[in-house]
Amino acid sequence: MVQVKSAKAGMIEYDMTVGMTAMEGRGFYYPSDVAIGRDGRFYVVNRSLESVDRGVRVTMCDIDSEYYGIFGTYGRGDGQFVWASCAAIDSEDRVYVTDEYLSRVSVFDPDGSFLHNWGESGAGDGEMDGSSGIAIDGEDAVYVSDTHNGRVQKFTSDGQHLLTIGSGELDLPWGVDVAPSGDVYVADWGNDRIARFSSTGELVASYGSSGRGDGELMRPAGVAVDDDGCMYIADWGNERIQVLDPDGAFVMKNRGEATLSKWAANFLEINREEGDARSRADLEPEIELFDPDDPHEESSKIEKLFWAPVSVKFDSSGRLLVLESNRHRIQVFRKAA
Amino acid sequence: MSEDTRLIAHLMRRAGFGATREEIETYAAKGYDAAVEDLLEPPDTGWMGDYMARRFHHEQSGMMGPWGSGDNWLYRMISTNAPLTEKAALFWHGIFATGYPKVIHGKMLSDQIKMFRRYGLGNFRTLLVELAKDPAMIVWLDNYDNHGDAINENFGRELLELFSLGVGNYTEEDIKECSRAFTGWTIGNTEYMVLRSERDSDWPYGRISWHFQYNEGDHDEGEKEFLGRKGNFNGEDIIDIICEEESTARFIARHMYHFFVADEPPVPSWPYTPPRDPDAIDTLAKAYFDSGYEIKAMLRALFTSDFFKAEDIRYEKVKSPAEFVAGVLRLTGEFDRPRREIMDRARQMVYMGQHLNNPPSVEGWHQGVEWLDTGTLVERINFASEQVGDLGKPGVKTMVDSIASRNGEAIESQRLVDLCLEQMGDIQVSDESREILVEFADQADRSPQAIAGVLRLSTATDEFQRS
Repeated sequence: MVQVKSAKAGMIEYDMTVGMTAMEGRGFYYPSDVAIGRDGRFYVVNRSLESVDRGVRVTMCDIDSEYYGIFGTYGRGDGQFVWASCAAIDSEDRVYVTDEYLSRVSVFDPDGSFLHNWGESGAGDGEMDGSSGIAIDGEDAVYVSDTHNGRVQKFTSDGQHLLTIGSGELDLPWGVDVAPSGDVYVADWGNDRIARFSSTGELVASYGSSGRGDGELMRPAGVAVDDDGCMYIADWGNERIQVLDPDGAFVMKNRGEATLSKWAANFLEINREEGDARSRADLEPEIELFDPDDPHEESSKIEKLFWAPVSVKFDSSGRLLVLESNRHRIQVFRKAA
Repeated sequence: MSEDTRLIAHLMRRAGFGATREEIETYAAKGYDAAVEDLLEPPDTGWMGDYMARRFHHEQSGMMGPWGSGDNWLYRMISTNAPLTEKAALFWHGIFATGYPKVIHGKMLSDQIKMFRRYGLGNFRTLLVELAKDPAMIVWLDNYDNHGDAINENFGRELLELFSLGVGNYTEEDIKECSRAFTGWTIGNTEYMVLRSERDSDWPYGRISWHFQYNEGDHDEGEKEFLGRKGNFNGEDIIDIICEEESTARFIARHMYHFFVADEPPVPSWPYTPPRDPDAIDTLAKAYFDSGYEIKAMLRALFTSDFFKAEDIRYEKVKSPAEFVAGVLRLTGEFDRPRREIMDRARQMVYMGQHLNNPPSVEGWHQGVEWLDTGTLVERINFASEQVGDLGKPGVKTMVDSIASRNGEAIESQRLVDLCLEQMGDIQVSDESREILVEFADQADRSPQAIAGVLRLSTATDEFQRS
């Protein structure tokens, strides 16, 4: 069946920003992924610092910046994380969180109570060496990027191995998404491309090539596929998001347009001296960059730009959430009218 | 061990972070002078890579706090194919010492090291200009508070005292005039950025990297008199004058000798204590002027000189903790990919007395035997012996396999010790140390673990602490 795309397919525009830097409680600290529950609740996975045991947690909030609390702490025990990585939600709203140091998946109920975990380190079937990206299909099968083994593995919801995808094809895969079609899209980080596999594991297509130009990718971290088959990509090494059409043709890109979130505005209202100084600052100055070809440098200096966009996810309303690790926030986009 | 490989090993310890036996043999096959050129003009500047480090260590990407920048630098030291570039950055970091407690911005400290990486083997004038524009330095020495109508002398004073001429080669009036010339050299959005730094604020969206800004309206346009010259000097004019001074050449030359050749007394005593080798300083100062202030030319003169190759300066320098830790980790090959354990290794360096990007003062760290006391020596030996004794580390396994393949179980103790010292980077130890190692080897079988035991014990020798 030929699907007719609307003229605006793949076009998005900036809507709002959610989140703020906070090592504990309300806020994010070096967040690495966000998953969205059926009730619209955001589960933001915080990698935090490695040198202290604070800040590692999952923050629960929503699009209106309502804060629902946290769960998880640093550690190796049940419900704890060392290198918390990515998250996904199953049909019963259970929250699956990967840990790429412990190579395991921890499962929580929607309120954050620990249920169980699974996963073992290794290179055999069902074993993992650095579990990062995670996605769950309509049958509650769980796809996990097995980073250092260069593959994606498919599991039952309780961790029984079902299928191995992409062995020999993938280089340090990161984000993964199951499209409405059932195909599995992988941010093939080390190969600067999006790799698309059938549900049975055959490589169907590859999108993008190395570079900074339109349609080119540099170490993509995440991908989300909409009903039209358009790909929304966290083009991490280029510090931008990019949209490709279902055939991989360039649609649009965006370097970031963050504004003050409710939490950020609240902070600046309370801390007036900082708020006043900020109001007098030029936050989009003309700068001679030390390394003009490195968007990472530019993003470190211009606050509104994406800085380490690690994850892209759609909510049930079709809004695209772009999570930035280094800016500790989510930039929200909506489909263009 | 031949004299050729011993000399290469000496070069690699001083111009880099030591080398494996295989690397030493590769350089030795090229010849010493070619090895020096490879270090000065590295054909391959690759390392593990920014993307790899940033993907797995988010803290090394955002670099808000005091650790990410140093951890990231350690990765570079242990994985770089251009070790002199990193060694030169470490050299300049020790002189232009800038630290976290006042800057409160890890990314800016890392960017300063990046600047040393880019200009540290280039022209000294360029390096000084970039240093004066460096945002971390501007905050560290308060030049953002150096105004046309009210000077702050901190940067001007240290530029002359610690960064170029050295004490005794300028007057208090020169400091004032120098400072006037650098008025208006600040960072953009000074008020907001300095306020956040003072408050250690990473709200609302993490730290914003600073950028240099020249505020013409805040610059003192009046005539200045500096080192006997008059003019409407701006900062770059001052640096031009500084670079022409004999005392600058000799000051930088002495620092180079101190860092790469043999320990000098602490810098504050230099005005009253002659250099250990005045002829060497003359040689380096001549290279400075002959080349038009090129640092690379000075180092080429240094590494190819007789005073550098001399037997009596080998194992004279105590390795700094950064050199020591990086050297051990290059041997063990543990970090073939980003691993969380880099943080633990970097903390060991701190326990040994050196926290990168956090020097004890504007004078940096004192070199030499001051690195060693009872506590730090125990830390060093424990660290090295634990790492080198671990057969699970690929570099250790390679060393042990290489030794075991020579003659298997029949290898006699003297030979085993020789082979172990070769694998550890062609180390020459004293007769006393050697005797202890042989005694240990006599007691041990020839299993991989026992061979690793000899490697491990060699890290406790005096020579392994030195370069």
